[in-house]
Amino acid sequence: MQLFIGGASAGKRDAVKQRFPSAVWWRLAPGQRLHEVAHVMLPNTPLVLHGLFEWLTAAQDSDFSSDEWRAQWREDLQRLNQTAAEDNVTLVIIANELGRGLVPIARDQRRLRDLNGWFTQDAAAHAEQVWYVRHGLLQALKG
Amino acid sequence: MIVFVSGGARSGKSLVAEQCVQQYADGKTCYYVATADIYDSEMAERVGHHQARRANHWVTLEAPLNIEQAVAQVPNGHAALLDCLTLWASQVMFNTQEDAAPVSETEAFALLVRALHDARRRGVTLVVVSNDLNEAPLPASAEVWRYVEFLQKLHRWLAAQADQVLEVVAGQSIEWKAAGAP
Repeated sequence: MQLFIGGASAGKRDAVKQRFPSAVWWRLAPGQRLHEVAHVMLPNTPLVLHGLFEWLTAAQDSDFSSDEWRAQWREDLQRLNQTAAEDNVTLVIIANELGRGLVPIARDQRRLRDLNGWFTQDAAAHAEQVWYVRHGLLQALKG
Repeated sequence: MIVFVSGGARSGKSLVAEQCVQQYADGKTCYYVATADIYDSEMAERVGHHQARRANHWVTLEAPLNIEQAVAQVPNGHAALLDCLTLWASQVMFNTQEDAAPVSETEAFALLVRALHDARRRGVTLVVVSNDLNEAPLPASAEVWRYVEFLQKLHRWLAAQADQVLEVVAGQSIEWKAAGAP
């Protein structure tokens, strides 16, 4: 798994397109379990997951606590990663950096920022490579 | 030689950029392309801090909108600091210059492109300073999103064009692109 993280309009998509020109792109649907994404995998073809911001925004509408969410996506990430390895699929996740500003006043914005940070940490823990994208330039943070 | 310096608020990016200009100026007069439009006393104080630090061998060129014209006034082979792109971009987008004709985003981008090409052609070292604003939740306002997208377009283009790209954190520089790197 590879994780690309950066701020808004930092150039993440272009960086991924350049490195994985033949990849299948999948926008996470609100409420979709991560391991279900395995259905769109093509053997030997990289799979790019994006739309994380909207996916996490939708996650707030459920009765799950942040801890429950975290436990679920950790388990799902593990499953998805395993399927990807079996099919020789490089999983690529595009994530937003949202943590370098003021604490938002609105409760849902605070929670979204927390969920986003936790998800990014969990995905990075699974990833063999983590890239930080800033103004179109890349820095390897892991791998 | 083009250098792009950015960082968070009060990260010390202007000081890093000034030192960079002085280093490349090698004793010659330094030029300061000031984009700040002084519209209130807080802004005047801000500008005052920056001005007080720059000694007499700096010449200030005011450019709330037309940075191309300002850069054109920098003599061949000299070094100039453009401070800062963030303010300039907001003045473009929010049309704060009452006595000037509005400049579209496309026109503004072209001004920047031409200013950079002019600097390169005439051996002017141009150090551009900007703020990093895109790594925090943005307010749910279409105008703000458009502004950040515009600013990021400028940042990505600058980072691609620049010979050196620096991120400043607490007055320290992190080199994202090294001078002399391909």
